[in-house]
Amino acid sequence: MASLALKNLVKRYGKTEVLHGIDLEVEDGEFVVFVGPSGCGKSTTLRMIAGLEDVSAGEISIGDQVVNNLEPKQRNIAMVFQNYAIYPHMSVRKNIGFGLRTAKLSKAAKAERIVEVATLLGMEDYLDRKPNALSGGQRQRVAIGRALVRDPAVFLFDEPLSNLDAQLRTQMRLEIKKLHQRVGTTIVFVTHDQVEAMTMADRIVIMKDGYIQQVGTPAEAYHNPVNTFVAQFIGAPSMNMLPGVLDDQGLNLWNGVRVAWNLASSGPSHEVILGVRPEDLKPVAQSQAMLQGTISVVEPLGSETLLYVDIDGIEVIASGPGRHAPEPGSQIYLGAATDTLHLFDKESGVALK
Amino acid sequence: MSFYDKLSVKQKQTLWAWGFLAVPIVFYVVVRFYPTANAIVLSFQEWNLLGARTWAGFDNYVTLFHDPVFWKVFRNTFVYLLIGTPVSLVLAFIIAYHLDKVRFLHGTIRALYFLPFMTSAVAMAWVWRWFYQPVPIGLFNNFLASFGIAQIEFLNSTTNALPAVLAPAIWAGLGFQIIIFMAGLRAIPKTYYEAAHIDGVSGWTIMSEITLPLLKPTIVFLVVFSSIGFLRIFDHVFNMTTNNPGGPLNSTKPLVLMIYDTAFNSFDMGYAAAQTVVLFVILLIVSLLQLRLLRDR
Repeated sequence: MASLALKNLVKRYGKTEVLHGIDLEVEDGEFVVFVGPSGCGKSTTLRMIAGLEDVSAGEISIGDQVVNNLEPKQRNIAMVFQNYAIYPHMSVRKNIGFGLRTAKLSKAAKAERIVEVATLLGMEDYLDRKPNALSGGQRQRVAIGRALVRDPAVFLFDEPLSNLDAQLRTQMRLEIKKLHQRVGTTIVFVTHDQVEAMTMADRIVIMKDGYIQQVGTPAEAYHNPVNTFVAQFIGAPSMNMLPGVLDDQGLNLWNGVRVAWNLASSGPSHEVILGVRPEDLKPVAQSQAMLQGTISVVEPLGSETLLYVDIDGIEVIASGPGRHAPEPGSQIYLGAATDTLHLFDKESGVALK
Repeated sequence: MSFYDKLSVKQKQTLWAWGFLAVPIVFYVVVRFYPTANAIVLSFQEWNLLGARTWAGFDNYVTLFHDPVFWKVFRNTFVYLLIGTPVSLVLAFIIAYHLDKVRFLHGTIRALYFLPFMTSAVAMAWVWRWFYQPVPIGLFNNFLASFGIAQIEFLNSTTNALPAVLAPAIWAGLGFQIIIFMAGLRAIPKTYYEAAHIDGVSGWTIMSEITLPLLKPTIVFLVVFSSIGFLRIFDHVFNMTTNNPGGPLNSTKPLVLMIYDTAFNSFDMGYAAAQTVVLFVILLIVSLLQLRLLRDR
């Protein structure tokens, strides 16, 4: 087990810079998830940590050692790939044991270790099978087993769940989290799925265009997004973004609606964006309403109902009750508690609150 | 409604399928299966192309069995096979493996290797024949002479002639084998290598435990394909030894050339047919054996 530190990490392909200086400290035993849209540099960062990509500038340390110029095997890391990278011509036993090839252990000790890991993953009955006789989830477990068997300092996961169906993904998500609680190894996990990031991470690293946008616990990222990108990327459905102007009277929305706002903390008059999460925007009585509009579409989810409301040309998503939800076409009054509102500068997208 | 309209979709599909299949089937029956059957019948007969075909029983096969030239030729054919197939496969794999990693002029280099495959065997055989000539004509002997090394009789020696004929045959097939090997190498996911790299295993382990096992289907195909090629070798031998085909002293003569000789120089059609049947059986056994050995495990 070991900590991991990235210092001003830069990656260039020819003249194109794809990572523009990543700084991150991962504590020993922490579960960190890199999340972002495709092309944001999260997989590149992971591959650099693994040693599969050269470092253009900056420093990667594992434990107290700078590993920039070390071969992958010298870094004491293990990696699980998106397509599992388990060998189709080898049995599960040989696949898991492949990671032990270079280990200085006796044959018996290696065999014992393989069985131990397989048991941990619930795969002890499948050791002599070939991968094509396994289900997707079982193959995933073999891939994890091969990484686990070497007892690495850091575990790297490169979108390992994206090839699984929705149900299995939820199940494996839980299993990986449990596994982490049991073995306690530092994990860096890359995904494009914000739900995976939220559910698994101790800390989330949200990336976009080769920059880190925010680093924080799932709750921090969700409740205190630092900019509009994070606000919209984390949470499903996305946060509603309402344009407006902040002037000396308070907040003036695009349709002329005024919202009381504490100006002292927000600076002089300028264009802003008001962010409200759908679950915070609820049907209220006319007297408490902030916004008023016509329901265009209703999406019942069981526990709640998503209401797509047309408010003066902008479509806003609000959440209604699961039972007795309003009908499409009807008028609705919406309100949200003041402490659930997020304010962003329109130009820079930076959070103002 | 016509008869066709009353058929179900399945029946219509079957009708069309057989309609299209009928053409090649008829063609194959006429140009392949009938001559094959006829050759087998002919192998039990005497025929000089002009006279009547007379029954000879197993005479042709008995003659063949006692013919010292046949055994010499039999041995030659297997030398072509046993040297040609492994040497060409190993060379093709080594070239393909490294060419796969070269980015610089990749297309041009690949085209250079493929060129001999597209060239006519006759033209190539004659160019190589010129290479093998003694000083001052031959390229190789001139090169050796410039270092003061004694001349080598490439095509006029009973020991050197067979390898000398085999070399251009291997070289000609290399391009095709390289292309197939490269396609096989490309089909192996990169993450397999990356995973092995992270596990820190040696290059040799990666080669023997990952690359080669995953290339097995490619290797099986190429072994069978090139074995059939070397067992049927003819044009290179014939063109490089025209003044004495298969010589000197039958040292380069393969089975196909013997068949050609028997049929069109001796006009002993029955005997030639018996040799053809033997070649057919050899090809069948070798191919089946290779498929069995390489596929199952």
